[in-house]
Amino acid sequence: MATHHKQALLLARRLFKLSFADGVLSPELVNGVLEYVAKHAPANPVMVLKAYHRLVATELSRSRALVEHAGSVEASVLRSIAAAMTKKYGRPITAESRPNPALIAGLRVRVGDDVYESSVAAQLATLAAGV
Amino acid sequence: MSTVLEQIEQQIAKLSNKAVKKNTGNIRAIADGVAKLDGLSDVMYNEMVQFPGGAIGIALNLEEDEVGCVILGDVSQLKEGDEVQTTGRLLSVPVGKGLLGRVVDALGRPVDGKGPLDTKEFFPVEKIAPGIIVRKSVSQPVLTGIMAIDSMIPIGRGQRELIIGDRGTGKTTIAIDTIINQARINRQAQASGDKNFRPLYSIYVAIGQKNSNIARTIAALEAAGALEYTIIVAAPAADNPANQYLAPYSGAAMGEWFMENGMDALIVYDDLSKHAVAYRQISLVLKRPSGREAYPGDVFYLHSRLLERAARLDGKGSLTALPIIETLAGDVSAYIPTNVISITDGQIFLETDLFNQGIRPAVSVGLSVSRVGSSAQLKMTKQVAGKLKGELAQFRELAAFAQFGSDLDARTKAQLDRGSRIVELFKQPAGNPVSIELQAAVLWAMQNNYFDPIEVKKVMAAANHLKDFLSTRKTALIDTLRTKAAIDNALAADLKTACDEWKTTFTA
Repeated sequence: MATHHKQALLLARRLFKLSFADGVLSPELVNGVLEYVAKHAPANPVMVLKAYHRLVATELSRSRALVEHAGSVEASVLRSIAAAMTKKYGRPITAESRPNPALIAGLRVRVGDDVYESSVAAQLATLAAGV
Repeated sequence: MSTVLEQIEQQIAKLSNKAVKKNTGNIRAIADGVAKLDGLSDVMYNEMVQFPGGAIGIALNLEEDEVGCVILGDVSQLKEGDEVQTTGRLLSVPVGKGLLGRVVDALGRPVDGKGPLDTKEFFPVEKIAPGIIVRKSVSQPVLTGIMAIDSMIPIGRGQRELIIGDRGTGKTTIAIDTIINQARINRQAQASGDKNFRPLYSIYVAIGQKNSNIARTIAALEAAGALEYTIIVAAPAADNPANQYLAPYSGAAMGEWFMENGMDALIVYDDLSKHAVAYRQISLVLKRPSGREAYPGDVFYLHSRLLERAARLDGKGSLTALPIIETLAGDVSAYIPTNVISITDGQIFLETDLFNQGIRPAVSVGLSVSRVGSSAQLKMTKQVAGKLKGELAQFRELAAFAQFGSDLDARTKAQLDRGSRIVELFKQPAGNPVSIELQAAVLWAMQNNYFDPIEVKKVMAAANHLKDFLSTRKTALIDTLRTKAAIDNALAADLKTACDEWKTTFTA
């Protein structure tokens, strides 16, 4: 079982590396990978595709700034966040808005596994931990 | 009420409006106290990772797309998908004199119900051992109060002396007696107001032991008044393997504080066999490749990096280590025992056969050795015990040979008689350490044939009688012996007078 898992992971990583064109994840190449898996049916295709999915999702999250907010956020704010993150990480990053009333007020921006927190909910949590 | 509001407002004002950056990840899988995490791209090796609900973990496996992490604390509330975050900090434990007299867990949290610790400083649990230049050779003794050890296998401050033997041979007893003896010396020196005296503080690390055993050890130390000079780090068998793996390093960090601040400390690791087993468990769950006896490849480094932290530093203090290893059927050539024997500066080997024969402490003189301790031995002990090890080794050889026939020449018979008397003399009950000056006086009496007329089975009683006689009626002589720490002609004459007087009082 462990060997199967390792082999599936290795294949997924190889397919993932083949999905890039000029350092950017290419939707065409991803489609090509899916066709290859459907046509050649490697051992444990579900395991391979799940691992591949996780790698692609992680890569996509690195080029997307998920902006959670309580209340409304203007398009200009999203644009400035995208520009700031693109400059910071040195790769093209797009901003995506997602309302989250649990934040009470403020923003939470998530790029890959980095989180930039500037919300009242987070401040209250810090306050509660300090009491 | 307004003050309370002001306090809250001040606290709110302290909180910056700037965005706080966190590096996060998610639990992909969790089992047996080990979590596999997605994300955490910024995590460093051995960094603390914050789990929801206050549990913390340590990142031990950094792989291409996942992080293997041992969890310290309650894992029952954690589930797949939970968010975790890096802390940017290495695991640290509280250090300082505020820990003396306390029982703490592997993370330095008090578990004795005596309230919070009075400490401000923290030391990292993992630390690189002191280098070559800052080290100084061993020259001051650690007195165990056990005659067989202090006279034949002396330990010095900064030394690593292994205590090895089967289960139930008195390994822990030797360590506890040493702690009790050092506490007695500390108290004595403090009472006398000796400004040059360097107290020796003790740290006892219990790894994978039964809670009842740890409670018994604490009670023994408390009864002997030694707890006030001792820190107990407890990672009992009920604790998760991660805590058992960390406990010795936490203890070492606490000991290093004393060493770095110009004080001396003694640390007992009880025991490193169970420590290796806990580490093997973690490594197997982390799916690290296993080697001999299923231990991971770095099991030698596990113990060498721990024991190398014991040292005597130039211009600072010292940390002496007494690691304990439990053998199976006396097999010292097993994997973990040979590893630790090669790292330490000697070993005290305890034999089951000797223990069952009533020779306690069951120290095997032939297999026990102290590689550096002799340079720390006091002159008076060297004077009276210099030849003892050789005499005992000869005795064992002759005793085995003598079993084949009864026709022995006078010289051999005399050697056998003397050897059996030395063996009797070294018998010592647990929890009853003897001061070094009394040890020297008794051994002087042995070397000068005062025990020869006494029947072998009554030698132990005679030695106890002599100790009582000297400590109650010849206090001035014993005090002189302690301050001089050497036996000159005048002192030898005084000892002779005292022993002659004792001879008339002792009736076998």
